[in-house]
Amino acid sequence: MQEGKPLQSKQINRELLLTILNSPKWFFTTVSVLGIIVMVAMGAAGYMINQGFGVTGLNRPVMWGFFITNFVFWIGISHAGVMLSAILRLSKAEWRRPATRAAEILTVFSLMTAMTMPLIHTGRPWRTVYWIYTLPFVPYDYARGIWPNVRTPLVWDPSAVYTYLTSSILFVVVALIPDFAVLRDRTTGMSHRIYGLLAMGWQGNARQWKLQIIAGVLLSALILPVFVSVHSIVSWDFGMAVSVKSWHSTVFAPYFVVGAVHSGVSAVAFVLILLRYVYGWQNYIRHEHIDALARLLVVVATGWFYFLVMEILFGFYGREADEIAVRDYQFMVSPWNIWMMIFVGVTYFLPVAIWLSRSARRNLWIMSLACISVNIGMWLERFLIIVPGLARKQLLTFDWYTYTPSAVEWIIVGGTFAMVTMLMLVIARVVPLIPLYDIKEGEILRTEIKIGRVTVPAVFRED
Amino acid sequence: MVTTNKIKHKWGMVVDLDRCTGCQACVIACQAENNIPINTKDYFQQRRAYEWIRIERYWEGEFPNVKAKFIPILCQHCENAPCEPVCPVFATYHNDEGMNVQVYNRCIGTRYCSVNCPYSARMFNYWQPNWPDSLRNQLNPDVTVRTRGIMEKCTFCVQRLRRGEVNVEQRGIEPLTGEKITGERKLNYRQMQEGNYLPACVQSCPTNALQFADQYDETGPVKERFDEANEIVEKRHHGEHIDENHTRTYRLFEEVGASPNLIYLKKVEPFPLEKRPR
Amino acid sequence: MAAAEPKGHGQHSGMWIYPDAKVISQDVSEKSKDMAKPFRTALVVTGILFILAIVGFIARAADDGFDEIGPWGYYTALFSMLFMVTSGAPLAACAFRFTKSHWRRPLSRVAELFSIVSILNLLMFIPMMIVLPSLENPAGSVEGQMELRRSIWFEGPIGAPHAWNLAGVAFLTITSIAILWTSAIADMGEARHSATGLKGWLYRKLAGGWYGTKRQWNVQKAGLALLGAFYFMIVVFMHFTISSDYAQSLIPGWKDSIFPVLYTVTAFQASLGAILVTLFILRRWGGYEGYIGKSTFWSASKVLLGLTLLWVYHLFAFFITFWYGRLEVEQNIIKYLIVDTYSVIFLLNLAFSFVLPFAVLVWNPVRRSDWGPSLAGLLALIGGLMFNIRIFVGSANAAPGENIYHFLLHKVPAPAYPDIWDLFIVVGGLGAAVFIYLVSTRILPILSIWEVKEGTFYQKWGKLHRGEYQILGKPE
Repeated sequence: MQEGKPLQSKQINRELLLTILNSPKWFFTTVSVLGIIVMVAMGAAGYMINQGFGVTGLNRPVMWGFFITNFVFWIGISHAGVMLSAILRLSKAEWRRPATRAAEILTVFSLMTAMTMPLIHTGRPWRTVYWIYTLPFVPYDYARGIWPNVRTPLVWDPSAVYTYLTSSILFVVVALIPDFAVLRDRTTGMSHRIYGLLAMGWQGNARQWKLQIIAGVLLSALILPVFVSVHSIVSWDFGMAVSVKSWHSTVFAPYFVVGAVHSGVSAVAFVLILLRYVYGWQNYIRHEHIDALARLLVVVATGWFYFLVMEILFGFYGREADEIAVRDYQFMVSPWNIWMMIFVGVTYFLPVAIWLSRSARRNLWIMSLACISVNIGMWLERFLIIVPGLARKQLLTFDWYTYTPSAVEWIIVGGTFAMVTMLMLVIARVVPLIPLYDIKEGEILRTEIKIGRVTVPAVFRED
Repeated sequence: MVTTNKIKHKWGMVVDLDRCTGCQACVIACQAENNIPINTKDYFQQRRAYEWIRIERYWEGEFPNVKAKFIPILCQHCENAPCEPVCPVFATYHNDEGMNVQVYNRCIGTRYCSVNCPYSARMFNYWQPNWPDSLRNQLNPDVTVRTRGIMEKCTFCVQRLRRGEVNVEQRGIEPLTGEKITGERKLNYRQMQEGNYLPACVQSCPTNALQFADQYDETGPVKERFDEANEIVEKRHHGEHIDENHTRTYRLFEEVGASPNLIYLKKVEPFPLEKRPR
Repeated sequence: MAAAEPKGHGQHSGMWIYPDAKVISQDVSEKSKDMAKPFRTALVVTGILFILAIVGFIARAADDGFDEIGPWGYYTALFSMLFMVTSGAPLAACAFRFTKSHWRRPLSRVAELFSIVSILNLLMFIPMMIVLPSLENPAGSVEGQMELRRSIWFEGPIGAPHAWNLAGVAFLTITSIAILWTSAIADMGEARHSATGLKGWLYRKLAGGWYGTKRQWNVQKAGLALLGAFYFMIVVFMHFTISSDYAQSLIPGWKDSIFPVLYTVTAFQASLGAILVTLFILRRWGGYEGYIGKSTFWSASKVLLGLTLLWVYHLFAFFITFWYGRLEVEQNIIKYLIVDTYSVIFLLNLAFSFVLPFAVLVWNPVRRSDWGPSLAGLLALIGGLMFNIRIFVGSANAAPGENIYHFLLHKVPAPAYPDIWDLFIVVGGLGAAVFIYLVSTRILPILSIWEVKEGTFYQKWGKLHRGEYQILGKPE
């Protein structure tokens, strides 16, 4: 299980705080380039809001397109953080240690990015004050007795997502406190004062540790229902729509949740590989961690595939002409059938084939490829659920149409990817992306036992 | 809140498909009445045309024995409207006259209502509406000009109904009998005929394929049809046999369960799915 | 006996304690020979129940014949209940072995032994195969009816679904017994010389070639992993077909893509419940408290809690989609299965499958005990039975006769109450399953001796700073 040499605390501090205390040369260039892409995307969004939705490829049957796909995709990515941190923390999996922080921060940023999507997707974003959506930023216009409609998934949705955002920020901050204290002790001037504020008087005494651990476990347990509810509700945005035949399926909630975990954990694995490469953290993000993630992913992917089969099978099971029309469009009509094949291939068969081989799991290049292919696939999955369903909504064949995204939509979608990357890079300058205290704890707890002539790695269990 | 003169109406429309010739007069009338922007070729090609009522054309048979079938589709003003519960801002709701109404000021354009409309009867304003200067003065002052980014749809020409109500109220007498109106302020079918309070499409239909009235109005032309249709639904609920050969009434996509206030008349199988071959 | 609580670890008592590896074999085999009085009483009682079940079955067959599925609803429900437990339990053993959970060691064999009970299942399935209405409408293409009713077999390959389901159930039984054999071969091989009589003969036959060489161990472990993965797939698939053919497709218009998943989750929950109850009985009254530590209950309770939450989540995902959809057929199905016709059974199901186990399992002190998780397991078992009665009795009686070929359910059907033979079948059938399990514990040791022995190697106590903690070896 545990590979690599034992590490000293000093070395851990030095290596993991490297990103914060000094910044590499490429840092500002990369961030600026990404910043420019984000600015361009924001400009495109502004142009779209100014001109009207005519500049997109949306039309009457296909009223939702790239933006909603992208929204669901980023919400999905955000599910990795809690999946890894909370579940693995509760189940005391040793290999979680280097992965949790990056996963949690990815959660926060992808959630923030996701939430921009429905906002610019509304026809009149400046009026969204009537929606619960802008509640965290703009006070609700309650004085006139006008309330949002709680029956709609579009109100459940922001409620769940903001709960999730709040709790995951809390989750990150609680886990960061000991590391902030380390930073406080190693910085001077303004940053010293800021880290001091953030560390909230952390001295590392027994009581503080106890409280921090209890808070972590409690938050883990409390955040899990939120985590499940978020993507369930996102799926119910679709599942509640009776009129779109292929959406109104009972399996959607768990199907989306598992799919989100699938794409999210892949994304985290990719981020970890990237961090290892960029910051040279070979001692922390070791092959065994990526390997463990990949083995977890085989299980998640297979579960996801089961739900996918259920969804498709029961689509045909109904033998209703209107649903068959959608499925026919998805599976038989070009280019959707090609996308469908690519989607199933890159989301399940290619990566799982890779993950089943031990040597491939330990080859970082192949692992990155598998993780990226999963995420391409999961993006396509949402796209192939949303658009064909709308394009063949009912049997009014006169209204059937297709959807071709416009340049504006491509730019904005591309901008969200740049935005998450940029935010991750910027935060790497501010907080350590690998939890120092968690790694140190792991180092303390690791030991080995001898059975006959064999030495087996072992851990101290605290219960 | 509750007033004694609360209007008790349930408006309904009956579309006789056997009479529809697909002449598009209703479409033009609607366009003129409701301040709908000019649909250009581009709009049609982008599938973003504003058509509160549209004539869908279907071909039956193989060339050269082809028959064109027409079906006018407009907002069905469903009793159990799928668009209503999904709007996050209550921009669409059911009023107490059986109409599904859209509040333009409230609408933020999430387009969920349109996604959830089985009839694709809801239009989104993709562009800011625009008229040539020469047409500016023909805009109907009773109807709002909608901005870009919101949903709009057929209103059953609610502005005409409201104007009719005002007329009745101002006159205060039944137009035919001359009696004073006491108690409930109620617009009946005769008055509607008198004062041209019909929706524009109904008024303009040359073959009387469209008929519009209060479903509660005993003398009106639609009550009978609605009773018939409701009876079929009731029978199906109780698992009774339905004699399909003796009725022409059906509702569009009955299996979605939206129960529209719009009835089509045509000899069709009411549940075609039930008899689908293997 | 060596199986006592360890000395010097007062604060950790009950956690992870196994006796010395040397004495385990002898101790366990002595315990499995022992026929205590309560055991004999249980054997007699369940034997009588077995006879009752047979009487009930014969009476049912004589009364109603095999033409209609309606009267066989309770029989189907019982089958499904036993099917859930017997298919899920061996899977639990495989799954926890796959995750290399240390605490599963005493649990494995307890779970695997349920595969013997699945023989009863296989026998029970034969009449069920006969009563299932055919996919093709015997009346042909009648107005208002489908020619071919909805099923997951679509156009229907030859023999579908009847023969295929039987083959699947048989395959499942064979695979689970193969898992049991692969797992038990080491124990049987060790005991084949000391065991006498029928047992000795059986052990020599089944494990004659076992010498415990390194290669044999490797083959055995790889075999268990492969069989487990294979078994997992068959279980999920068979849950899917049984839940579709005997429940979903019998209610016209019930198109519920999550139902097979809900069925599988119920099965896992009920089977884990059954395992926990068995473990509790063994610990309390079977003299195994030195082997079955509280940590097994503690860890299994986490899984049970997870499954309980998953159960209600899947149920809710189904309910809210149908409820919000408001289609006529969806409303009718909700009324039939949840709020109207079977509302009482549904409430019992919800209470026993979710509310009560959840209320028990949320308390950490309760979860650390041995009775808490077992109580929750018992509740989950009852909940599973209620689930099966609600779903399978409901499905069998939703559309009698030709109505099964309708496209949609237009009317909320009336409930079907059990008669005396149904009670005989359900109560007797459960007794019969227990009877078979009890008999099988006398044939094979109820603890997986090799796994427990292996466990003693991987755990030890060590000092860290001022405390003494358990050290757990984690082999790759």
